[in-house]
Amino acid sequence: MSTNVTIHHGEEINNSTGVSHKKLLMWTFLGSDVMFFGTFIATFMAYRNKSLNGPYPEDTLNIPITSVSTFVLLMSSLGIVLALHYLKEAKMGLAKFWLLLVIIMGIIFIGFQIYEFSHFAHMGMTPQVNLFGSTFFTLTSLHGAHVSLGILWLIFLLINEHRGNLNSGNAIDLEIAGLYWHFVDIVWIVIFALLYLITANDGVPPGSIPWIGGH
Amino acid sequence: MSSIAKPKQFQLPRIFPRPKSHKGLWYWLATVDHKKIGTMYGLVAFFWFLVGGIEALLIRLQLGQAESSILSPEVYNQMFTMHGTTMVFLVVMPLSAAFFNWIVPLQIGARDVAFPRLNALSLWVFIFGTILMNISWFVGGAPNGGWFGYPPNSSLGFNPGNGITYWVMGLNILGVASIAAGLNFIVTIINMRAPGMHMMKMPVFTWMTLITSVLIVLALPILAVAGIQLTADRIYGTNFFNSEAGGDPIFWQHIFWLFGHPEVYILILPAMGIVSEVLPTFSRKPLFGYTAIVFAGIVIGFMGWFVWSHHMFTVGLGPAANTAFTITTMLIAIPTGVKIFNWISTLWGGSIKLNTSMLFSIGFIAMFTIGGLSGVTHAASPSDAQQQDTYYIVAHFHYVLFGGSIFAIFSGIYYWWPKFTGWLLDEKLGKINFVLMFIGFNLQFGPMHWLGLNGMPRRIYTYTEDMGWEDSNLAATLGGLIIAISVLVFLGNIILSKRKKQNSGGDPWDARTLEWSIASPPPHYNFVQIPKVKHIDDWWYRKYPELLEGNNQNIKKQKIEVEDSSNVDESKIHMPDLSYYPLIIGVGLTIAALGVMYTYALVTIGLIMVFWGSIGWSTEPVNEDSKEHH
Amino acid sequence: MSLLKDLFFYQGNKWWKIPETTELSKNPKNEHPFGGFMEKSKNILLILSSGKGHAGPIYYWIIAAILGIITMIEVWWFGIKELRYMLVPAMLIFSILKFALVVAFFMHLRFDHKMFSTIFITCMVVGILFFSVFLLLSAFHGLGT
Repeated sequence: MSTNVTIHHGEEINNSTGVSHKKLLMWTFLGSDVMFFGTFIATFMAYRNKSLNGPYPEDTLNIPITSVSTFVLLMSSLGIVLALHYLKEAKMGLAKFWLLLVIIMGIIFIGFQIYEFSHFAHMGMTPQVNLFGSTFFTLTSLHGAHVSLGILWLIFLLINEHRGNLNSGNAIDLEIAGLYWHFVDIVWIVIFALLYLITANDGVPPGSIPWIGGH
Repeated sequence: MSSIAKPKQFQLPRIFPRPKSHKGLWYWLATVDHKKIGTMYGLVAFFWFLVGGIEALLIRLQLGQAESSILSPEVYNQMFTMHGTTMVFLVVMPLSAAFFNWIVPLQIGARDVAFPRLNALSLWVFIFGTILMNISWFVGGAPNGGWFGYPPNSSLGFNPGNGITYWVMGLNILGVASIAAGLNFIVTIINMRAPGMHMMKMPVFTWMTLITSVLIVLALPILAVAGIQLTADRIYGTNFFNSEAGGDPIFWQHIFWLFGHPEVYILILPAMGIVSEVLPTFSRKPLFGYTAIVFAGIVIGFMGWFVWSHHMFTVGLGPAANTAFTITTMLIAIPTGVKIFNWISTLWGGSIKLNTSMLFSIGFIAMFTIGGLSGVTHAASPSDAQQQDTYYIVAHFHYVLFGGSIFAIFSGIYYWWPKFTGWLLDEKLGKINFVLMFIGFNLQFGPMHWLGLNGMPRRIYTYTEDMGWEDSNLAATLGGLIIAISVLVFLGNIILSKRKKQNSGGDPWDARTLEWSIASPPPHYNFVQIPKVKHIDDWWYRKYPELLEGNNQNIKKQKIEVEDSSNVDESKIHMPDLSYYPLIIGVGLTIAALGVMYTYALVTIGLIMVFWGSIGWSTEPVNEDSKEHH
Repeated sequence: MSLLKDLFFYQGNKWWKIPETTELSKNPKNEHPFGGFMEKSKNILLILSSGKGHAGPIYYWIIAAILGIITMIEVWWFGIKELRYMLVPAMLIFSILKFALVVAFFMHLRFDHKMFSTIFITCMVVGILFFSVFLLLSAFHGLGT
């Protein structure tokens, strides 16, 4: 046994597939998150048109406003992919600009959500009021929690980038944050289709009490 | 990545110094070594095994005679709930995790898992989760809704107090730990195999760990959702399971068993992996049908997702659904049967060495087969209508979970103990341990079959003399006491053997896989040189190369010593340094979970701790020398 | 089917093939983003992409534009009363399309290591099958009283 062998633990020593550990971890985590959101979405669909009293989706959901926030989130996906591209090319100014823009777009999205929630609460739609409220608020607020976590993560990366700790050499750190961000975006794509567009015309289910509150 | 210099590496100011010494309590709190973490998993889980066992004994004492009142009905409900929850989440899963931690990196020829600090996080979140769940005993009563917690029985209206909420929060915290560990092992196994170790050359235990991890990663989020929904119902007054607002309690049963059935395979697949390592070693023969066993495991892992409604045959899902799930449930017996026949064929014609580990493994095959067969009897939904919620079911799942998982885990403990410690457990006491446990187990759970067929329902507090259930129940209680004695024998064995300290050497069993090619206990970096793998059971064929040429007569063992690590230059060892941030995040998460039940001040404190821990974690270099940054 | 395969796997990656271990192999080189069939057809997008072996910014802008247009079509479709009877299938198809575009191109699944596709698609397939069975059961059981 040679005595001058260096004992080291890390990706570059022991890596049987050639892909980054972190990226593999993130993809596997996203697979796990698929089941998390899948269960919530399945709950929502199973309880669709099952509320016994109002307000119902047609009384509350406002498609034009949500379309704007959807568009903002969708474009933030473009922003982060550009930020990563410029980071890999070591164009630090552009990279920082796009990352900052993504963070702002994320905050705008959260702002829309806060506005939407408070608007609903003002109209009398709360998680306690009926099944639609319970399923709608848990799903969208947990999605919002994911977005908020993503914003914190990106702010952390932006600070690192600004201090010069994040550069083309460890762009993988931004890449996995980007994967997470895109995933949150595609979850919203599904939510927008199922919770908003498909549901928004749902009126009073047979046998339930019509809603007379609101504006 | 380490080659790139980072000019202004920001580091969170440390409140505590980063521990350096490899001794003392501080080291154990901050360790990232997979072996130390595995040891802690094992010790904590074994502690809960004793607690869960005491709970079981109290249940058995209460049921030993007709109309006894050793426990009050209320406490009895808490006992069986916590017995089930403890044994599933606090014992079998973490004991399996202990084996994953200890064995998987050694079997695949890695120096540690892919994310050592994430591994430590899993451990600490798990430990604090177990504590959180058991605090409930002291603050107004433990959960009492059964380990499945069906609403409306677990809804606020029927179950005021914090018991159920503690249960849900505990499960969610444990879920975080399990998912983190599952992700870590998937990456470790896929990405950190030694050069040459193709997927189809991995040891079967590693394969089963991979499949189990995939199941954990996909199934636990579903439990988390169920938990969030029930907590929201209980704390914020949402309507998920509130039938007054149109919510359906059956929905909980669906989600719970959507998670619950993969969970069953999470409990049994590691056991199957352990047995698949022990049997070939002590038969001195390769595992029969390696490929079949691996694919049977994958098929079980996939089909396990589509059988959940067999827990709900009497709910009234209708004949179409019941028939479909009857068929899928019966089909899943096929891959399981494939494995059993493979194990028996492994024994066939081998030169069998009947030591304690082997006895437990053979016990596993027999008991698991009985449990599997009784499982097939209630896979048929008409027959299940008779058996649902009777002691027949209790007998069935104890035959697969105790006779299956626990027997295999004991087999694994006896098998890998010399690798863990460097000394052997006493064989004589070990055999006494096995015989007592085998007799006690069958005495306890055998009679439950006919108790159930005689109509004794599960979870009843007591029964009258004229039911004719007394003798069998008394036998079961005696069996329970014998199991308790066998566990005491096991503990005695450890203490006596430690005093004797019979040196095992690196490879006491003349075994097959890579973990036996290094010293016992292994140095903290495991392998001085990462091995190059050519075959399944590479270590075995390095010792017996003639076997590869089809030569089965007069085999000579090559003189190969286990890897010597005595003259390694200490300054050239760059393993990940200690970190206390996982501990801080674990504490923070638990405080936040407590706060959800009491006050938002605690939630804030908890989240601040999690935030502090995460920032500290991501800014500290993994290794102070090389300034490597993960 | 082959179109779907082309979307997710670059140049006939065999996704069922379990990744084999190689000694210290590097990441597979980022290949041309438009894959085989696009390359052969000399698509206009090919010229727009950076041509440096990986996708360029213009190309990301194009994907984003497609996503934005689909979203607009979705909202427009929602607003037209005559198209309501087709709303559910249309929205499902559009969201699947957007989902696939983001996953395949923004998340680089199409030109990344095939293992990531395998992992993610396996999870999606298990999840979708699983929850479909579950929703089917719910529908026939008539959840809610």
